[in-house]
Amino acid sequence: MGENSPAFIRLESISKSFGTVHANRDISLDIHFGKIKALLGENGAGKSTLMGMLAGQLQPDKGSICLHGKPVAFSSTKAAIKAGIGMVYQHFMLVETMTVAENVFLGQEEGFFLQPKKMEDLVKDLAETYGLQIDPCARISDLSMGEKQRVEILKLLQRRSQLLIFDEPTAVLTPQEAIQLFTSLKQMARQGKAIVFISHKLDEVLEIADEIAVLRHGRVVDSLNRSDVNSKSELAQLMIGRDIMHKIDKRPLEPKQMVLRVKDLCDNVLKHINFEVRQGEVLGIVGVAGNGQKPLVETVCGLKPVEQGDVSIFGEPWYRFFSRRSWSNALCYIPEDRRGLASCLNLDLVDNFLLTTREGFSKGPWLNKREAEKKVQGLIDAFGVQPKDARILARQLSGGNLQKMVLAREFYRRPRLIVAEQPTQGLDIAATEDIWNLLLKAKDKAGILLLTGDLTEALSLSDRIAVMYEGRIMDTFYTHDTQKINQIGLMMAGIVP
Amino acid sequence: MLRFKIRKRQEPLVWSSCLILFGALVLSIALSAVMLALQGKPPLDAMVLLFKGAFGSRWAVQDCLIKAVPIFLCSLGVAIAFRLQIWNIGAEGQYALGAIGATWVALQLPDQPWFVVLPTMLAMSFIAGGFWGFIPAILKLRMRANEIIVTLMFNYLAILFLDFLVYGPWKDPISFGFPMTREFSASAIVGKIGNTELNWGILLCILSGIAIGVFFRYTRIGYELKASGENIRAARYAGLPYDRLVILAMVLSGALAGWAGFLEASATINRLQPSIIVGYGYTAIVVAWLARLNPLYIGIASFLLAGFRVGLENLQLDLQVPAAFGGIMEGLILLTVLMGSFFIDHRIELRKKL
Repeated sequence: MGENSPAFIRLESISKSFGTVHANRDISLDIHFGKIKALLGENGAGKSTLMGMLAGQLQPDKGSICLHGKPVAFSSTKAAIKAGIGMVYQHFMLVETMTVAENVFLGQEEGFFLQPKKMEDLVKDLAETYGLQIDPCARISDLSMGEKQRVEILKLLQRRSQLLIFDEPTAVLTPQEAIQLFTSLKQMARQGKAIVFISHKLDEVLEIADEIAVLRHGRVVDSLNRSDVNSKSELAQLMIGRDIMHKIDKRPLEPKQMVLRVKDLCDNVLKHINFEVRQGEVLGIVGVAGNGQKPLVETVCGLKPVEQGDVSIFGEPWYRFFSRRSWSNALCYIPEDRRGLASCLNLDLVDNFLLTTREGFSKGPWLNKREAEKKVQGLIDAFGVQPKDARILARQLSGGNLQKMVLAREFYRRPRLIVAEQPTQGLDIAATEDIWNLLLKAKDKAGILLLTGDLTEALSLSDRIAVMYEGRIMDTFYTHDTQKINQIGLMMAGIVP
Repeated sequence: MLRFKIRKRQEPLVWSSCLILFGALVLSIALSAVMLALQGKPPLDAMVLLFKGAFGSRWAVQDCLIKAVPIFLCSLGVAIAFRLQIWNIGAEGQYALGAIGATWVALQLPDQPWFVVLPTMLAMSFIAGGFWGFIPAILKLRMRANEIIVTLMFNYLAILFLDFLVYGPWKDPISFGFPMTREFSASAIVGKIGNTELNWGILLCILSGIAIGVFFRYTRIGYELKASGENIRAARYAGLPYDRLVILAMVLSGALAGWAGFLEASATINRLQPSIIVGYGYTAIVVAWLARLNPLYIGIASFLLAGFRVGLENLQLDLQVPAAFGGIMEGLILLTVLMGSFFIDHRIELRKKL
């Protein structure tokens, strides 16, 4: 690569971190004219951060960006657009009350008076050139998501962008609109534009990309040409990772009584989900994000009603279990969003600890905070939280320490069923191993339902694994079943082996 | 070229936040002085007059304390709702309704002894003010009606209802046509403390301030209010009874404003008349922000803002400053305090452009 067609843009050893989280580590990447490059990776792999730096939204901590061989630094998105680099974000930035043509030319109008006719004609020409069907006079508020996306693309094309970056562009589209988008993208590439396509969907990456870079935990784990990819499962394995098994002490399975049973659960996403979790075991549900994990968790944790099918917890039917006030005492939910959902960032650790344990510390109307503080101080020591101060605000903790605090709180309630959702996402290796060991220790007294996109995590912790794809469970098997383990990639891609 | 970058503070400020708030106050006073100068009034003299009028004599300080009572109670009330991030700006109406409730009792029981009448008035104003907070809460929860709009509209309803009563059914037959009720009987009037002008309402303020402080700090429901206000998603996650908390906060909020109305009618004016509506309910919002919702600071800020009111009366007399200037000054204080709280939560970094 790179010899016969000159790299349009070269990223060289780019690193970027937010606090203690390394979003990008030493990433090098070439992007070529006339080619579609896919950035493939799980949520949190660092794709959007990397492209944010290219589009001038963020600035790299280390490394350089070269444009036509010359180093450049973009202090803002405006500077990047001027250099011919534009990004279509997931959330559109359009003025809803104005027309398509007005939006395309927003901030670019010439002269004192607007020339609607001229603008409309220009937009029409541009749209035809790239096969983007749109009525230039239509109001944005009347458009579908797909049409709005086309307006965003036209905005970039009108500003003569040579590199167009698309951040998960199909997430908001209907399947038909996605097909139209792919056609336009190919047309743009044919006309010499460089396209970067961020996605975690294997099918669309294989359909559209000329080159594929796979990101995992902030690094490029592989860069390959489309023609070198033999199978979908190969890509899935790369994306999810199956590196070294960590030093995790997983005791053999000795399942006891049933704590969770899901029977034939259906809704608009989920299709006939069946599984059970027993005390003393970890059931890992793996799959690419967005394949139905969210509605499943919400139903099991009582945040979303059962539409069809049966869920029973500790042998009790769902509705009876969640109608009692003390339901929170034996079911623990460790959500993916530890900052926004599991904690109040502006309150101190004692107050955060009390969120779900307050019943144990109240006597009549009073809340015994002194006792709670003593407990928190003990938990901080036991779980190795840094800094060792119960009175600091939750926002001052790093991700790993906050997650330890969340686990400490939830385990304090002596759970019999733990639902853990991406428990180590965004954490460094040391914190990840701590969290894993904590979860395994909790398994003695509880059944754990683990939802993860990280195969290493699933294999390290689970006794059994269920693979989820498009709202269905493809298969459930024991982790010592090496034959099945090797087929996980295929199943995650929706292929029945 | 320099560029600004705004970041949220990781470490909360302690002392500097007091300094920032003090700076905000000074800035608002300075801006007021500029506005006075633009009207051709001597700004420095005016400010001296303002402070002398407010705090310059024993009589003036007493007047400040008397005016601080209703402001304090209203502000304590709105602070409860604000803690939950419910924007109750209806203290004015809840205050009016509390006054109406208390007056109803006073008119119904003219011949009972004070130890019957006053507690009944206290209870009735609590219920009436609380009721005026309860309705917007229900509308918010059931119909998703925005509480800012509803509470604001309810102010007008309450004030017009008060007007209706004093112009109509409750009008004093010997008032020569003035819109007011009969003067309350002696047993319906909250008495003065010793030989001062101050009434026992101050005691009610101190007690309720302490009670609310304790409530927030040491009780479970107080904690639940605080946590829900910080992060409503976390509150739902933790199974906090959000709907019940909203109702509780709004009822309590309205009830405290209702007490302010009761004290104003009973202790200060001794009857119900439209002139009891002087915007304490709106001043209370400024006070609550200035005090960052802390009961003790609300006490101090109430006294300060009451001082501005008293001082401005002085200015009106001596320099013929229009009465509306009081509102302008309060508005300026709110603006500078809001600006200040931005700097308390965020810091601004300067950096060179790449």
